[in-house]
Amino acid sequence: MNKIYILSLFALLLITGACKKDSDFLDVPPKQVIPEETAFSDPALVLSVLGDLYNRQRDFSSLDGIPKELPYIENDEPGWRTFADFNEAFPSENGSNFLVQRTGWSFNEWGIWNYGYIRDLNLFIQRATAATKLQEADKTRFIAEARFLRANYYFEMVKRMGGVPLITEPLTYDYSGVVTNLQVPRSKESEIYDFVIKEAEDIKTKLPTDVNQKSRATRAAALAMESRAALYAGSIAKYGATTPQVSTVGNEVGIPAGMALGYYTKSLAAAEEIINGSAGGYQLYKVLPELSDNFAAIFLDKSSVNQESIWIEDFKVNSGKVHGFTVNNQPFSISDEGLDAGRLNPSLNLVEAFEKLDNTYAPIITKDAGGNPVYYTNQLDAFAGRDARLAGTVLLPNATFKGKNVDIWAGYLLADGSIFTSDDASHLKSLPGTNVDIQVVGKDGPVNGQEFRSQSGFYIRKYLDPQTGSGRRGRQSDVAFIRYRYAEVLLNAAEAAFELGRLGTAEGYINQVRARAGLTTPLTGLTFDRIVHERRVELVFEGHTLFDMKRWRLAHRVWDGGSMSVSDLLSNIGSATKRNTQPYGLWSYKYYSPGSPNNGKWIYRESLPSAVTGASRFQFGNYYSLITNDILSANPKIVKQPNQ
Amino acid sequence: MKRRLPTRNRGIGLIQQSLKVFISCLFILFASYISYAQEKNTITGTVADEKGVTLIGVSVKVKNSSLGATTDANGKFVLNVPSKNVILQFVYVGFISQDVALNGRSTLSVKLKEGNENLQEVVVTGYGSQKRESITGSIASVTSKDIDRVHGGSTVSTALAGKIPGVTFRMADGRPGANATIQIRNMGSPLYVIDGIQQDVAQFNNLSQNDIESISVLKDASAAIYGVRAANGVVVVTTKKGNKGESVINADAYLGYQNWTRFPKVLNNSYDYMLYKADAEINGNGSTSITAAELEKYRAGTERGYQSFDWREYVLKSNNNAPQNNVNVNFTGGGDKMTYYVSATNLYQNSVLGNEYEFKRSNIQSNISAQVANGLKVGLNINGRIESRENPGVPGYDDYFLARYAVLRNTPLERPYANDNPLYLNDIGHTESNYAFLNKRLSGVYRSDWRVVQANFNAEYEIPGIKGLTARAVYSYYYADYVLNNNEYTYNTFTYRPATDTYDITGGSNNPYREREQRKEFSTTQQAQLNYNNTFGKHNLAATLVAERIELIHQRNYVHGSPISNNLPLIYFPTLDTYNDRDDTERRIGYIGRINYNFNSKYYLEASARRDASYLFDPAHRVGYFPSVSAGWRITEESWMKNLLGDNKILTDLKFRASYGVLGDDRRIDDATMPIVAPYAYLPGYNYNQGTAILDGNAVIVSRDKGVPVTRISWLKSKTTDIGADFSLFNGKLTGTADYFYRKRTGLLGVRTDIIVPIEIGYLLPDENVNSDAQYGQEIALNYSGKFGQVGYNVGGNFSYTRSKNINTYNPLFFNSWDQYRNSLENRYSHIDWGYEVTGQFTSQEQINNYTVNNDGKGNRSLIPGDLIYKDQNGDGKIDQYDQRPIGFGLGTQPNINFGFNIGLNYKAFDFHADFSGGAGYTFSQNWELRWAFQNSGNLNEIFLDRWHRADPLDINSAWIPGKYPANRFNPGTGHSNYSLNGQGNSDYWLHNVKYLRARTIEFGYTLPASLLSRVKVRKLRVYANAYNLFSIDNMKQYSLDPEVQDDNGLQFPQSKILNFGLNLTF
Repeated sequence: MNKIYILSLFALLLITGACKKDSDFLDVPPKQVIPEETAFSDPALVLSVLGDLYNRQRDFSSLDGIPKELPYIENDEPGWRTFADFNEAFPSENGSNFLVQRTGWSFNEWGIWNYGYIRDLNLFIQRATAATKLQEADKTRFIAEARFLRANYYFEMVKRMGGVPLITEPLTYDYSGVVTNLQVPRSKESEIYDFVIKEAEDIKTKLPTDVNQKSRATRAAALAMESRAALYAGSIAKYGATTPQVSTVGNEVGIPAGMALGYYTKSLAAAEEIINGSAGGYQLYKVLPELSDNFAAIFLDKSSVNQESIWIEDFKVNSGKVHGFTVNNQPFSISDEGLDAGRLNPSLNLVEAFEKLDNTYAPIITKDAGGNPVYYTNQLDAFAGRDARLAGTVLLPNATFKGKNVDIWAGYLLADGSIFTSDDASHLKSLPGTNVDIQVVGKDGPVNGQEFRSQSGFYIRKYLDPQTGSGRRGRQSDVAFIRYRYAEVLLNAAEAAFELGRLGTAEGYINQVRARAGLTTPLTGLTFDRIVHERRVELVFEGHTLFDMKRWRLAHRVWDGGSMSVSDLLSNIGSATKRNTQPYGLWSYKYYSPGSPNNGKWIYRESLPSAVTGASRFQFGNYYSLITNDILSANPKIVKQPNQ
Repeated sequence: MKRRLPTRNRGIGLIQQSLKVFISCLFILFASYISYAQEKNTITGTVADEKGVTLIGVSVKVKNSSLGATTDANGKFVLNVPSKNVILQFVYVGFISQDVALNGRSTLSVKLKEGNENLQEVVVTGYGSQKRESITGSIASVTSKDIDRVHGGSTVSTALAGKIPGVTFRMADGRPGANATIQIRNMGSPLYVIDGIQQDVAQFNNLSQNDIESISVLKDASAAIYGVRAANGVVVVTTKKGNKGESVINADAYLGYQNWTRFPKVLNNSYDYMLYKADAEINGNGSTSITAAELEKYRAGTERGYQSFDWREYVLKSNNNAPQNNVNVNFTGGGDKMTYYVSATNLYQNSVLGNEYEFKRSNIQSNISAQVANGLKVGLNINGRIESRENPGVPGYDDYFLARYAVLRNTPLERPYANDNPLYLNDIGHTESNYAFLNKRLSGVYRSDWRVVQANFNAEYEIPGIKGLTARAVYSYYYADYVLNNNEYTYNTFTYRPATDTYDITGGSNNPYREREQRKEFSTTQQAQLNYNNTFGKHNLAATLVAERIELIHQRNYVHGSPISNNLPLIYFPTLDTYNDRDDTERRIGYIGRINYNFNSKYYLEASARRDASYLFDPAHRVGYFPSVSAGWRITEESWMKNLLGDNKILTDLKFRASYGVLGDDRRIDDATMPIVAPYAYLPGYNYNQGTAILDGNAVIVSRDKGVPVTRISWLKSKTTDIGADFSLFNGKLTGTADYFYRKRTGLLGVRTDIIVPIEIGYLLPDENVNSDAQYGQEIALNYSGKFGQVGYNVGGNFSYTRSKNINTYNPLFFNSWDQYRNSLENRYSHIDWGYEVTGQFTSQEQINNYTVNNDGKGNRSLIPGDLIYKDQNGDGKIDQYDQRPIGFGLGTQPNINFGFNIGLNYKAFDFHADFSGGAGYTFSQNWELRWAFQNSGNLNEIFLDRWHRADPLDINSAWIPGKYPANRFNPGTGHSNYSLNGQGNSDYWLHNVKYLRARTIEFGYTLPASLLSRVKVRKLRVYANAYNLFSIDNMKQYSLDPEVQDDNGLQFPQSKILNFGLNLTF
């Protein structure tokens, strides 16, 4: 062996350990960090930053769920569950039974306080304003978009919390030991609404007026936000007078009644700016001849044909941004997955709210005047002649999805009046007097307590994606969530006009929305209850229910904590103050009595799923979510909520 | 980045160099082998103990050669030697080894002295090795002879239960390829150093057990020498090396049969199921739809829909006696210039869940060292492995879960196949837990492979001119490649229609799930060392200087797609929906200095210091300095002590020792695989790839502000004190060691709370190094070896206790005294579980009606006899958070108390070993399937048969019969106060403090007589039978649970009871 060879090898080994300075060795260049100057010199990277700010907008209900957000939201909540509250639906998942077993909501429910997001928005506005390497047009639009997102988020906070600290510059602690300069008190509730309205007015001219621009802020989006915010402020001012206990001395919560008219006026003006076309050519979606299909398609059609949606949270298959709404809620018998299905079951309470085509209210007929069951030849017959939005929102028994009919029935009704059923569709049984095993309950339920099948007798249709593979956990769905749409703008305008006493204008707007749903007889003599009802059926499962009930101060009356009897359920449909505390179901049975003319026909029975043991009670303390101790103790200038 | 290229080239150069070294080595090996074929002189002799009793199986070797023999049943040996002037070595367990010069004799008789060689034993310590007598730190070790007989699993950690004082052990999961969690004194995940190179836990676990020479555990400041990441103690593994003058071929093989220790039992017939269901429904709702007539049909069990099916038997009997086997062959030996150890091992482990659930591993190890020039020694150690896991690819994260879940989820009413026709998977509504579906044909295929190769080059040069000074350099390159391929198929389930005799597709999944993960790990270690070792009269001095650089590169990509067919194993772009990419680099630098001094082998002193730098911290806080010192006093070496003891050797040796050291740590305290602070937290800017936004129909990868730069975090400091003694008594027959230790950590992360900033500034003030905690305890180990007639025996045991405490947090703030009582961490034990105390169960409805405390949060409306009575601690008439008290030691933690006990016996050619180990001081929570009946509407765990129930389950008015558990409800979840109240599910009724003592290895071996073997040129052949986990004495048997299981639903893959048969063969 060559000695020199070995010696040089040895020397080499020593050198490899010492060829680089320590500091050079330890400075590992980052691969995923973009320096601030670089980020704001390239419009593609600015959009990348802005994209995150878009993603962090908070909706009350959202298809992809509610992520963890301290200090309020401690656990992720799946998208479907955010829709399953307020007794408009029943949650068919054992782990979510608490929704119908609790007797009300905790005071910190719905609270948000994400000033981390506000800080990032403020940083963005500050940095973009200071950027020198961006084209002026890009810069103006970017800043306007961030201001829109900030205003919309303040709107979201004021809806839940009342007046919050209004912070429009990034705050940073300098380790000086002094924090009083960082302690911002709560603004008045009206001041936050004023901020939202003012920002909308400021930025609307800086945003594009393109009707095809749905995922980024547009002039119409700013105006739709303004119209809704002003409407909320107006109604809180007006109806808040009925609940003086829900207000603070400093008006951090509560808006003086005298401000109502001003807000209604602004709401109507902003809505009419969209309606008159100055923000782009928006209109109601009237594309498909079948009106229920047409209504469902509003939420599925993202093409330029859809000129109704104004601002959406968009998703895209194979991009990483998808949601599991269809996975969670697809009918069990049509599921792409073994066990992911059927969680969100609309309630009978909601189904009955859809009026008949003659503008009258009536329950679904299960018994005739004599108290005898009504036999239907086809299950769908029971729902015929109603508002087209019913079948557009709810998958009714025997309705079609992905080319298949849902199989919802609770068993056989025998001639002696007894029920013959089993605990699962795959548990076959022989009918009395026969010896061949057959299926005796629907594959989609209802069986009491059997999760992932409908337990109310209905499935959700709104947002349910008919694309192949939309129910697979791997692919999921890219149906968009519509945050603002033209029909709501019309209803905002109708309500504002109604409150301003301009009945004719109001009826003009509301009847457009109703006509699209097949209610072609115009309403006359518009009432407050009609407005409440119209928003419920048009906008259900779109995140409006809670806030509408709050601003009208109806929440503590509708969710009064009392149990509901069947006669409660069937009476007073259409009344704004009708009790709605427990989600009922409507179960159908196939009549078995060979030789009887009714043999093989269907009957229906109202039924309260056995998991429903609670009854919703909305307390005054629920009107504005509690401000937690860690917030209060970190900033002594923050005043508590009323009833906290 | 450009500058790295030359380093790479050097690396390639090195490989070429070492290839030459390797080839030359092989040549030398060959040459030296031939050189022994020489003329022979025959020597005969007898070996006996001091009393003249002959010894069997004593190893007789010619010093510096490969020649050797073993004494036969009469204590006699025959040996051919090259010349009659050689030196013979006599080695026998339990006796002091002896060298005897032949001096021309051709017969000789030798007497061996009994004694323990413990003190002469060489123990591997940081960057070197020392004799046990000179060690001043707390270091324990095991050698191959202790771990070779453990065949309890496929990973090294499984061999360590109860073996080493201070090493805590818990094997919660026992699936093929699983490892046990081991910690040193419960200080957190230890650092693993294998042949001088820092490695991760997976590399440690997947060494071939056969290749391990010794495992040393550095428990105190002696670990400080390994500095960066050594604060939780160090496990130092040394692989086998060749010995000069001995060419040996060893073959070891065993075959084992595995069965689960315990797993929950469930109902197996539909009548029972329906009866208990009716019972539960009446208890819960007051009524049931199950009628007596229906029950009769289930009892008959003949009609379709009323039959029974035993799922537990179906799942667990599918692969009874699941095999495992291991074969190792190694070649070892050496000549004057070089030594070698070359080994190959193949291991296979199957699972009780089915023969498609498999683990396979092949290891190679090649350790070669050569004297290449005067004073220059070079070495090349290469190890590699291929580690594969293969099983059905099934929905969900853990592919082993659904098969276990099938036992509890499926009821006796449900059947795997439609109409029992195995061509049609039955639609039971939850097919994913239908065991008939969980196989590679129907559900898919999962396979993951690690392919690892590592080369360590080292060179050691005795610097001429200065006696005792050597320079040493080490370069290690580690490359690991991981590929995971998972293909989950679409499938159909069927319902049989008797009316038409057809099988309708009524369910299944059309979701194909195809994923592939690829990881590459590169790690480079460079060390330069200077060692000095010299003796000046009675003064012995050693000094070490080390410079070390470590670089770890982690690369990963992950793709997921939905292929259009189950038959396409490849992934193409149009069906892809996820692609993730990662590339991270970690770097650390350490400089180490150490001095060892001893005076006359009586007083010992060791001092060391490190300067460590980590890439994680802001440049201003990168560097930490960490000193440590230890001292020892061998009191038995003092002349006055020797006078006192005289010839009476009751106390053979006694050494007191103490150590104190400060170590730095840059890892998270709760997860040592994570850094204490996110990489680059000290830099401002935007983090790219924080999700995707869809803007204008395009997917935009979004970026988020990193937040306020974190520049105030640096090393946390771990300050370890250890006081101990090593002793031997009765001529070395009884040896032992005892230790007390206390580790205080400072610089744990916490918030500096004297300034409270408003939440509205939008960020939290970054953590700083302000909190502290402690871990402390004692341990003792004793070992006695002796001989009784012809029976040699040794008995040993160890016991260790450790507990951790939070010391203080920075300026703790409490809202009120309750908040302080409940939430303070100040000076309190860590891992406390809070919950209610249960004082009993209601025995009658009358008692409930008269009970004044609101025990269920509902005015006691939900209570029936048998329900739990909670203790109203504060006497306010209701049970709520104010009634919670500390009731547990921590869920999922390592045992605070660990102990081990072993016996070894040998008689003539027979040997027997029994190892036991145990643990206590940890908590198990009985929850979900183990807490309430019919969880998920599934089957009933048989523990709930012993329950409060009505004499006639169908008659609500019949009398109550007491039982252990509260009356069952049907799938109540957390809805009833028995199971959870006011959000608190913990109570001392459901939490159990576990204690166990289990037989680990019980082995019986027989060595065939040498006379017989010599005819077939075999030097040694030993056969054995060996049982692992044969029995356990513990308090978890009543729940049919393995005492080490952690998952609170009891559905974890338990350890196995294994019966092994094997042989050790030496040529």
